[in-house]
Amino acid sequence: MNWFYFASPATFYRLAGRIAPWFFVLAAIFAAAGLYVGFVVAPTDAQQGEVYRVIFIHVPAAWLSMFLYLVMAAYGAVSLSFNTRLAAMMARALAPTGALFTFIALWTGAFWGRPTWGTYWAWDARMTSELVLLFLYFGFIALANAFEDPRRGDRAAALLSLIGVVNLPIIYFSVQWWNTLHQGSSVSFKGTSMHIAMLQAMVLMALASWMYAAGMSFSRVRAIILERESRTHWVRALARPA
Amino acid sequence: MNHEYFLAMSYGAAAVAIVAEIILLRVRRARALRRIEEERDLETQD
Repeated sequence: MNWFYFASPATFYRLAGRIAPWFFVLAAIFAAAGLYVGFVVAPTDAQQGEVYRVIFIHVPAAWLSMFLYLVMAAYGAVSLSFNTRLAAMMARALAPTGALFTFIALWTGAFWGRPTWGTYWAWDARMTSELVLLFLYFGFIALANAFEDPRRGDRAAALLSLIGVVNLPIIYFSVQWWNTLHQGSSVSFKGTSMHIAMLQAMVLMALASWMYAAGMSFSRVRAIILERESRTHWVRALARPA
Repeated sequence: MNHEYFLAMSYGAAAVAIVAEIILLRVRRARALRRIEEERDLETQD
């Protein structure tokens, strides 16, 4: 397969337009299934009661917040190394959705924390490092748009995203490295301590979140391509006939 | 406060945030297309 063919914004614009709707369809299917299993099939938690059902949105959002940052930084690295326009545009496209899922993780965590720990917020290592991740996303977006020349913005933001990668292991291992209010992982590669229906709901919601993020990123990169390539003939031809 | 409040605040805020993201992206795309049309029209006039 000739990957350089897909690295062209013109080719990728059409490809992203074709695949994005399918990601949204899959997201809707997985979300419907996840909400059904999470609210109808999964039993009430013995300790936390019904409020534990926040995890079906909190945990997938937290996973995705870290994963999207990693992908964004990888695109940043590709853009810096090979000076590819499309990689920089993809990094820009991922940042708002990453910030959104980081916000959702923090917000839902607060509304899970209040009834279970007695507080909406604590300056605990997991929560603080997740908040730092949100600021890294904001910093990336601000830096990318701070320059008149978008290529300079791409390079500065890519560099910030690479520096920020150091925060990801801190978020992930914070519950092991420090004595935190936030509990450790209930799911790992070794197994899970959760009821199978709870795990199924969480995995379905995680799949829904991933599909949504993919759909949004492909849709957003199309808008970015339109903005950045507005003077090219093929983009002009897309707009309504003069 | 009962559990319905915490669940509604969590899922409700997430739903609002997702809908807002979709609307903002549609606005951004429409604005980009409008700008392309305006630039093209200006060049045609010149």
